[in-house]
Amino acid sequence: MSAPLLRFAQVTYRHAGALAPALADVTLEVAAGEIVALTGAPGAGATTFLLVAGGFAPRLIGGTLEGTLHSAAARPGIVFAAPWTQLTGLCQTVLAEVAFGPAGLGLPREAVRAAAERSLERLGVLHLAERDPATLSGGELQRVIVAAALAQDPDLLLLDDPAAELDPAGADALYALLPGVAAAGAAVLVATPDIERAARVATRAVRLDGGRVVADGAPATVLTDTPAARIARSAGCPAPLPLDAEALVARVAR
Amino acid sequence: MIGYRPGDSPLHRAHPYTPLALAVSLLLAVFALGSPGAVGAAVLAAVILAAAGGVLGYTARPAFVIGFTTWVLLLVLHGLLGPGPFLAAGPLSLSARGLHRALVLGGRLTTILVAFLTVLAVVSPARLVDAMTERGVAFAKMYLLVSTLTLVPRLRARAAQILEAQQCRGLRLGGSPLARVAALGPLVLPLVLGALAEVDEQVLALDARGAGRAGRRTALDPPADSALQRTVRWAALLVAAALFVAKVAERAQ
Repeated sequence: MSAPLLRFAQVTYRHAGALAPALADVTLEVAAGEIVALTGAPGAGATTFLLVAGGFAPRLIGGTLEGTLHSAAARPGIVFAAPWTQLTGLCQTVLAEVAFGPAGLGLPREAVRAAAERSLERLGVLHLAERDPATLSGGELQRVIVAAALAQDPDLLLLDDPAAELDPAGADALYALLPGVAAAGAAVLVATPDIERAARVATRAVRLDGGRVVADGAPATVLTDTPAARIARSAGCPAPLPLDAEALVARVAR
Repeated sequence: MIGYRPGDSPLHRAHPYTPLALAVSLLLAVFALGSPGAVGAAVLAAVILAAAGGVLGYTARPAFVIGFTTWVLLLVLHGLLGPGPFLAAGPLSLSARGLHRALVLGGRLTTILVAFLTVLAVVSPARLVDAMTERGVAFAKMYLLVSTLTLVPRLRARAAQILEAQQCRGLRLGGSPLARVAALGPLVLPLVLGALAEVDEQVLALDARGAGRAGRRTALDPPADSALQRTVRWAALLVAAALFVAKVAERAQ
């Protein structure tokens, strides 16, 4: 494993005005090239983990942070579940929206345009380049927002339920992109209830409960509550359990 | 309707600073003018500006809706309660100086309303962003200006969505005035709370996309400018400034 990009050492974070911590005594490291699936019940702290990891909390949203957090990420990118809140509101075309990040890097105009087009193509939405973002469907907009995050070539990509607005094929395509992003040297953290899809691409999984890390390890040992794993468990399959439908079918076929 | 209306008029095609400079010039000039006739000319200039942008009909309604109450108030307050001499108007006796004052103030308001509603209608926020980015305006200032310009259309779109959702859930909009006022609650509360909640995520998203980075941003598609437009802008601003200086000098005498 390469040097950690992120290092949490006994980090406790409280939202402004909250008595209970949203993250409690979290200690873990994330290296470049890893894809970490963050799971847990709603309110477990996965979104807060992303905000703290990206340096957005407490810097932008307030609250208090205890412990030591070291981040070597120079270009964190974050995508939330609701894409319409992530539009800049300043751009009339999808291309301009995606180019917003690269445009802040002071690159020449042609390089900014090329970065935006490349990113749109990666998400399969280059044909939307001249559309007004306000006229897109939720699924199209979600892909555009992910493209906007990728256009900046992030070294830390934080995804909060990124497939919430996508159809199954779109969600599959989005998750299929992540190994490429990680292979290019970024660390990817995905907070998602869609553990079946996360299990296909994650190199590691972290389960949170009440803001605490309760499990951290290989997806096969942490993401054991997928529908496929439950079926396999009830059928008496030995470990490691198959985590998705394809793996389950393959196991049964054997 | 308030907000940008796509079009192909000379004002739509102009550099965004040009209609802005013309509107600001009218604003300065109309405050320097003191007679109803001169203010009337400024109103006419604002109307010509709107017509040149092909948005006269588009700006007339909001200008009327916003300005009508003020006009009535000005005429009643200054016309009926102003100092003598008085003019007979049927059963009423109206103050000549009060009417003069009401016409000047009302004309100023109308000029400003028509000029700036025209700017909102003909200046694309995206082109304005590109124009300001090209000039190296700081992102925070640019965002403040453009988000203010686009506030009304954004709130209107959101209010329409909330209204449809609440109607689907049984909200009835008709009935007595009291029932109509009561129906405002389910509209206004989600509108305000939703806007506040979204601001948090938008701040994070903008920050993550480098909005706060130091250094000059690259304009993706900067609007074309020309020597003629620059001359028109400076000439309009200089005329307005000259009128203002003349007014100050006149008062000093």
